[in-house]
Amino acid sequence: MPRDFIPGRREPEVPSNTFSYFFREAVRRIWVSKRTSFVAVAMIAISLFIVGSFLLVAENLNRAAEEWQGKSRVIVYLESDATPQQVDAVGRWLAAQPDFARRRYVTREEAMARFKTWFANLSEVMGQLEDNPFPPSFEIDVEPRLAHSRAFHQSIGALKAMSGVDQVQYDWEWIDRLRRVVNVINIAGLIAGGILAVAAAFTIANVIRLTMMLYREEIEIMRLVGATERIIRGPFLIEGFLQGILGGLLSVALLFAVYEAARRSLSATSSILWGFLFAGFLPWQKIAALIAGGMLAGWFGSWLSVRERGEDR
Amino acid sequence: MIHFYHVTKRFDRYSTALHDVTFQVEKGEFVFLTGPSGAGKSTLLKLILRQITATEGQIVVNGRNLNAMKKSQLPYFRREIGMVFQDFKLIERMTVFENLSFILTVLNVPPKEHKKKAYQALRTVNLHHKLNAYPPHLSGGEQQRVAIARALINDPLVLIADEPTGNLDPDLSHEIVQIFTEANLRGSTVLLATHDRDLIRSSGRRCITLEHGRIAEEKARVIERPHVREGVFGLGG
Repeated sequence: MPRDFIPGRREPEVPSNTFSYFFREAVRRIWVSKRTSFVAVAMIAISLFIVGSFLLVAENLNRAAEEWQGKSRVIVYLESDATPQQVDAVGRWLAAQPDFARRRYVTREEAMARFKTWFANLSEVMGQLEDNPFPPSFEIDVEPRLAHSRAFHQSIGALKAMSGVDQVQYDWEWIDRLRRVVNVINIAGLIAGGILAVAAAFTIANVIRLTMMLYREEIEIMRLVGATERIIRGPFLIEGFLQGILGGLLSVALLFAVYEAARRSLSATSSILWGFLFAGFLPWQKIAALIAGGMLAGWFGSWLSVRERGEDR
Repeated sequence: MIHFYHVTKRFDRYSTALHDVTFQVEKGEFVFLTGPSGAGKSTLLKLILRQITATEGQIVVNGRNLNAMKKSQLPYFRREIGMVFQDFKLIERMTVFENLSFILTVLNVPPKEHKKKAYQALRTVNLHHKLNAYPPHLSGGEQQRVAIARALINDPLVLIADEPTGNLDPDLSHEIVQIFTEANLRGSTVLLATHDRDLIRSSGRRCITLEHGRIAEEKARVIERPHVREGVFGLGG
């Protein structure tokens, strides 16, 4: 028997079994329009690849900066002709400073030997020198947290003023500079990636709009037999969402392939120069963020196209 | 069940499809709508399904004023109406079963019941053996019957059909009318648009005739009486 229409009665907007329908339909539509879907996926993948590249460079620079800062070292170069008394006085002064407890005295001979080991191909040139050009020094390992403390800077000032001290070097200034560069890379990556992701979302929007045009008659039939807008739009939203995920996954795969290829080819030639750029791939949080970015761009793109509608004449 | 009050539908200044149409179809009635091509039959059916809206006048279907109905309520209203379209409106890339199953998805019927319900609906129109066929591979008559099965699958409150016998031979036409009659007996109010005068005449049912967008004639149902031979008891002649 026909059921009476109860005015005002509303059935659930999206019945539970429609989610599997959404998914099946979305996958089918992607498969049917493979080429246009590929364009959308590729656009997202390229955008996220660019974002990912910036993130990867920034990540490795950051890691290098952290590593260097972790090994924070102050080197107090003494004058070449510093007297043993002067060396002793500097040693005693350092011993009195608790922050400078981990220190080591490097003699001129030791410095020369170390240079010869590190740069073996230059050892012949060094052998031709009449004098040992390396000054004696104190190498002090300090806590990274001291870098920005006032007391530390005062201590450095006091050290510099001591007789027999030629110069005091420490890494923080350029590490700070490096960090600023890392920040700029991060921001540039996010801006460039953001713009490209929006462009990718619009590409997805157009692809979905195209698909909706293809399915125009079908959509009309669905409306006539009582399908709600949610049931009609659901597969399109899922379609954009899936294209976004695929784009995200593809970008990560591409990024990893390029990273590995570059690491293998460059590390074989000059490890010192490039080694710090290949300390590791992106952490899982950033990989997840890239894929989530793809999902978001896909969802946004499809939402842009399905929110437009019109029926009555 | 279906009430038209002075309904006019104008598409533009020069084309008025319906002009001041007033009629009623009561609950449980079976009514034919006829008239020549371009008389406004399809427009009238589209108005009932609210595919289009009236320019003037009021339309009330199952107690709902269609002019005042919110767009969000439209899908739920349409689910109570079974419509057989003149051009069938089957989804060509879906099999016969999928076409029917889609309606059941919309109606929130559990997927495990789809096959059974689709089979039953197709059995009514004698097409249960074409469950996995695609509409383009079916003849016009078969597509017509799939469209009817789709309209019947939900036991609709109102069953509307636009030329459902247009593509069929006379025998099949009577068979189709029989299907609508059975739906009517199960409780559906039926409004069937056709220009097949013989079909209307043989059914003896109420008929609304449209001409140039106006109601030209309304014939009440011919009360079927036992056939009495003229001259019996000396009353005839």
